[in-house]
Amino acid sequence: MFPARFRAISAAALLSAALAAPAPALEKGDRAPDFSAPGLAGGTVSLATYRGKVVFLDFWASWCGPCAKALPALDQLRKEFKPGDFQVIAVNLDRDPKLAVKFLSKRPVGYPSASDPNGTVPQRFGVDSMPTSFLIDRSGVVRHVQRGFRDGDVAPLREKIQKLVADKR
Amino acid sequence: MTRCLALLLLALACSGCAPVRPWERDALARPDMAWDPDPLGAQLGKHIQFSKEGSLDGGPGGGGGCGCN
Repeated sequence: MFPARFRAISAAALLSAALAAPAPALEKGDRAPDFSAPGLAGGTVSLATYRGKVVFLDFWASWCGPCAKALPALDQLRKEFKPGDFQVIAVNLDRDPKLAVKFLSKRPVGYPSASDPNGTVPQRFGVDSMPTSFLIDRSGVVRHVQRGFRDGDVAPLREKIQKLVADKR
Repeated sequence: MTRCLALLLLALACSGCAPVRPWERDALARPDMAWDPDPLGAQLGKHIQFSKEGSLDGGPGGGGGCGCN
């Protein structure tokens, strides 16, 4: 019906459009992909290390206002649970990790933060806004996706964590 | 006709429109990238213009023409 060249070019155009489209965001019930990235404070931060615990994985950047608001609230939440039950880990997405280190020196938190200036990890999770966080259960399944951060989000989040922590399966 | 369509598709594919990922918006988040770097000053300027000239610019603004704003 169509000449071969036309079909080839159409296919190339569709392919380039498909490649440019962002990966779909992980949703409730999806398995969180494992990742390892260098930590801002040195060493490596790896999601697999925390398997068996409830994990709150937060993607943040120093230039993002709501992220700055979320950091101390998440640190407070972390302190409310036993370290063997619940952990917060963060992935910083600043293009210049020095900005994140400077930010954390002024507003330190007690949980580890990985540095991913190229945005490889958020692409795998399909992060579509800043900040985006994933509440992951003990078996590594995403149970809640938190987009943005407001003060009123802490209480419902605490409830969700409590439920997941109580689930010892 | 076919060649035109093919060229159009190729042009669309090569248009250079790249999606800006949420974590790449650092430059856009800078205060000097805001439409209005000084919202309070701009509001004051609008109020002075309205009071002096009795006219509103194209932007959003209160007042229903009663002159009591």
